[in-house]
Amino acid sequence: MHINYWNELTRNNFGKLGLAMLCLVLFIALFAPFLASYDPDEPSHSILMSPSFEHWLGTNDIGQDIWSRLLCGAKNTLLVALGVGVFTTLLSTVIGASAALVGGLYDRILMRLIDALIVIPAFIVIILVAAYVLPNVWTLIFLISVLTWQGGARLVRAQTLSLKERMSVYAARTFGANKRYIIIRHIIPNLSPILFAIFVHSATRGVFMEAGLAFLGIADISTVSWGLMMHHALRFYYLDVWKWWLIPTGLALSVTIMALVFIGHALETAMDPRLWEMEQEDWQ
Amino acid sequence: MGDGAGRLAMIELRELEVMYGKRRVLHGINLTLKRGESLSIVGESGGGKTTLGLSIIGLVEGTVRGEILFDGKNLVALAEKEWKAIRWNRIAMVFQNVENALNPLYTVLDQVSEPIVVHKLGDRNEATRRAGELLNRVNLPEGRFYAYPHQLSGGEKQRVLIAMALANDPDLIIMDEPTTALDALTKVELINLMHTVCKERELTILLLTHDFYAASTLSDRMAVLYAGTIVEFGSTPALLSNPRHPYTRGLLRCYPSMTTTKDLQGIKGRIEFFDVGCPFHPRCTQSIGICREKAPRLEKNDGRFIACHRGGIIPLLELRDLSKSFDSLKAVDSIDLTLYEGETLALVGESGSGKTTTAKLIMGIFEATEGRIYLEGKQILGRDKSFYQRVQMIFQNPMESLSHRLSVLEAVREPLDVQKLGNREQRESMVRQILDEVELPSSETFLNKYPHQLSQGEAQRVGIARALILNPKLLIADEPTSALDASTQAKVVKLLLNLQEKRGISMLFITHNLALARKISDRLAVMLNGIIVEEGPSNEIVSSPLHPYTEDLLKAAPTLSSRVPTVPERTSERNDGTGCPYANRCNKVTEVCFNEKQRLSSLSTHKVACMLCTATD
Amino acid sequence: MKLPEIGTYAISFLIILVLIFLLPRMMPGDPLTAICGEEVLVEMTPELKAELMHRFALDEPLWSQFFVYLTGIMHGDFGYSYYYNAPVLEIILEALPWTLLLVGTSLVLSTVLSIFIGIESGWRRGKVSDKSLLTTTMILNGFPNFFIGIILLLLFAVYLDCLPLQGAKTPYSDLTGIHSMFDIARHLVLPLIALTLAQIPGSYLLMRNTMITTLKEPFVRTAKAKGLSEVAVRYKHAGRNALLPIVTTTGVRVGIIFTGALFIEIIFSYPGVGLLSYNALLMRDYPILQGVFFLVAVFVILANFIVDLLYRKIDPRIGVNNAEYAH
Repeated sequence: MHINYWNELTRNNFGKLGLAMLCLVLFIALFAPFLASYDPDEPSHSILMSPSFEHWLGTNDIGQDIWSRLLCGAKNTLLVALGVGVFTTLLSTVIGASAALVGGLYDRILMRLIDALIVIPAFIVIILVAAYVLPNVWTLIFLISVLTWQGGARLVRAQTLSLKERMSVYAARTFGANKRYIIIRHIIPNLSPILFAIFVHSATRGVFMEAGLAFLGIADISTVSWGLMMHHALRFYYLDVWKWWLIPTGLALSVTIMALVFIGHALETAMDPRLWEMEQEDWQ
Repeated sequence: MGDGAGRLAMIELRELEVMYGKRRVLHGINLTLKRGESLSIVGESGGGKTTLGLSIIGLVEGTVRGEILFDGKNLVALAEKEWKAIRWNRIAMVFQNVENALNPLYTVLDQVSEPIVVHKLGDRNEATRRAGELLNRVNLPEGRFYAYPHQLSGGEKQRVLIAMALANDPDLIIMDEPTTALDALTKVELINLMHTVCKERELTILLLTHDFYAASTLSDRMAVLYAGTIVEFGSTPALLSNPRHPYTRGLLRCYPSMTTTKDLQGIKGRIEFFDVGCPFHPRCTQSIGICREKAPRLEKNDGRFIACHRGGIIPLLELRDLSKSFDSLKAVDSIDLTLYEGETLALVGESGSGKTTTAKLIMGIFEATEGRIYLEGKQILGRDKSFYQRVQMIFQNPMESLSHRLSVLEAVREPLDVQKLGNREQRESMVRQILDEVELPSSETFLNKYPHQLSQGEAQRVGIARALILNPKLLIADEPTSALDASTQAKVVKLLLNLQEKRGISMLFITHNLALARKISDRLAVMLNGIIVEEGPSNEIVSSPLHPYTEDLLKAAPTLSSRVPTVPERTSERNDGTGCPYANRCNKVTEVCFNEKQRLSSLSTHKVACMLCTATD
Repeated sequence: MKLPEIGTYAISFLIILVLIFLLPRMMPGDPLTAICGEEVLVEMTPELKAELMHRFALDEPLWSQFFVYLTGIMHGDFGYSYYYNAPVLEIILEALPWTLLLVGTSLVLSTVLSIFIGIESGWRRGKVSDKSLLTTTMILNGFPNFFIGIILLLLFAVYLDCLPLQGAKTPYSDLTGIHSMFDIARHLVLPLIALTLAQIPGSYLLMRNTMITTLKEPFVRTAKAKGLSEVAVRYKHAGRNALLPIVTTTGVRVGIIFTGALFIEIIFSYPGVGLLSYNALLMRDYPILQGVFFLVAVFVILANFIVDLLYRKIDPRIGVNNAEYAH
């Protein structure tokens, strides 16, 4: 398909909104150190303060400035999004594509494995593992990716299989070009739409899972995680502090996830030709 | 045929127009369908057939203007809740048998009985029973009643669709491409089935198809749809044997069937939708100024409805009572011949039949003793430059018709020189262009060659190029391939057919070879001793010849079988010029034949000059 | 009716078993603590230690340990919680009904709602009602399930104070019959709404998209032409066909809903297996964690299996008889 994804994304209303929101979060993540007035990790004696001029969102239970922590949390979230996105896509591609290209017993075994693994709830496994070993960010990224690549692998495999048919035609027409040439020039470009979709989807999942785990207390305590902030904040639900500690953090998290969801939806619509033509009519 | 006396009009379309957004898909549709008759709408895909069908049942997703009168109500303005009483009860549709035309999750029996229940024509059991009867009627085996659509073959699914349409005993059934995607034998079965079912229930049918075979067997009348307008409308057999709109003729030429003999030809250009003017005009060989400006209305014209500013295919060349005598010998004896726009008429006969003389009479090389010649409706008295610009000739022996002293360039350029068209450069570039068209090189070397340096085939092509450079409307080809070897002959014939397709030239193709004639011509005239004994559509003459001479010619025509041909014996010696010229060889000869000369009878498109044949015609 | 691939499910089951088995034994530290939980250290005596070592065959090679483990499972022995001082199975079975109540009602409610609004939305594609529904759901989709729970909790239980804050029923009250049911319902409302809201966007979007593509199929036009009412076309013909992907994904959704219930139970202190495992996590009570994991995994696998069976009945295109008429 010769669809320019950037164009389609920016034309679709959801895509535009999603990109805008993502850029906002990205901006915050990159410039947090300059925007934050305090060191997010530095405790102080003014604990559980309401919002004021010095502390825009008040302070938490050990006196840290919530606004600063909120800004710095963005970096962690986006890091997880990127990490899980890249790693999962990589795993899906390598496993899915190799299964399709090699075929035979290798393919059948992998398919069975995928079918078996897909049923196991990822979250619960991580909780179990985390009970024994408290993970850091990278371990978390690794774990999440390892437990969620199966869906993407199936998609990549299906797409590669259909491309493989065309591949033999290409080989004949390009006068016996070798496999590497065909894979680079033909298979990968044709896979890119689906890889994009897998990337966005796994990034979304990654953010959600990291936040969820952090909310349960399973997080890298050396970094600022929004989920972890909410975990701490919830304990004080009986105080007013939830208004400026819990809610803004939740909203920040929601905005990030929403941005990714919107972009994902716009991509999906762009990729499905039937839905696409109809969206064109509506949302112009 | 005509109006089907006494039958009520069941449905009438008046100025029907359908638009999808800014695109006009149908405009100015005027049709009447009478109760009990079957009408087919024929046209290529994308022409608007399905839209027409859907607009009658009210399922078009576009803006509809105009009127569809059914039972006194205008269906275009019908409210949705009023449709409930009409849909399937009065008007039903057999949809195109594509994937998922039937709901994959329900059994076929269920789907056939559904409309009966929904329209409260019976309870569940009653409906199931009736559905079973219908499926039986369409020859679906009982074991398949509870099958799901994906378990049925294409032919079986088509039957289910037909049965489903019959469920509520509708008055009008619209069939959308009922024979596409079926293999040949299944197609025949289905056509047979539809024919029987329609006859026994006296259904009114509207058949939408591009398949002429289905249209010819299932419909009484046919309307040809091009780019959203009806261009021709009349009785089906008449349209098929004698198409009078250029598009209809072009369409039939594209359709391979066991009865067509002429090689396949396409229609130049592509289908385009126009808001102004006749939609066919860029592809039409006889379009004039007004065709571009104003859309022609569908008008009654000699038993048929045609939408053409020129009233259908016009006669290009007409010969009336043309005679030529050389002293006592009548070479051409009072012949009547018509050659239509854009067609090839083959004039077949033995040497001495008068065919070449006829050609020379047309070209003005001989003066006629009697009779008149008309070109584009106007009588030709003298031959001037404008005549030769429109009528050109190619000769049997290319070497002789090309002057030895002129090079290829000079020879092909000569007509331009004579008519004083363009300057030197323009003329030379036109020469190159035309040489391209006849598939000859246009290099300097070739342009400077002289006829004796060319092969027979090349020389003949140069002759053709020269004839075409003035862009004539009529090309007279007098045995153009007899002097060529077989392979060259084939290539030249193909070239001529291509040129006809591209430029819309009419051709008078003179030959003694009947086998060749039928491959290149739309119509055929058989000439014997100065008179025309038979004339008509090529495929008809070849498949059912009427005149004994034609029959014998056919038997004598070259075949590749090993059977030794029989020679018609001479039955008598008498031949003194009076009476039928074939009297002395005819096997059906009677006394009368020696006394009276016969003339072509004009009962239909297939004419014959034989008293005995006319009687049985 | 051909049975679905039991083999694949067996493999999943096996992987889970192996995972539960291997994890504690591969972790750094004392395997005994890893298996029995840290609480066990409190009560540790040499005799107890010896007994436990023997029970779990920790001094024997790995594969015989696995065998012991398997036989234990088959006898319903999921271990012993030193924290609660009771067998794991017993503790889990006490909490399970609440989770099943929550998860069950939420699954049914969210599925039915999603199907309904998905069909209606798809039918009205492009119109205001569809656009607003779509936008609302997409926004809802961005909120993580625990945040939805938190908002509801804060809004209704704290701020407005109209619904209970925690628990499955009012403690220490001996309500019976209708009163008991009403009480349970009151406590169920907020968690149920939170969990259902979190589930809806996913299924709704799937239903809507499938509906949109189904509406373009030829048989929908055939149905309209047959003069069927709009509702009949929408539900009996288009809807029924569009339902298929929702059915296939039910198994996956069961997994998601159990995970979601985990968070909701924590937020609302609802005494199901989710809250149970959270507490176990905090206390490092490994036997309980392992038990819950096993249970949930089994549930999910079972759900997938049942869905697989069901699907074959709904879609006639899958099944034994297809080969006969294949073209």
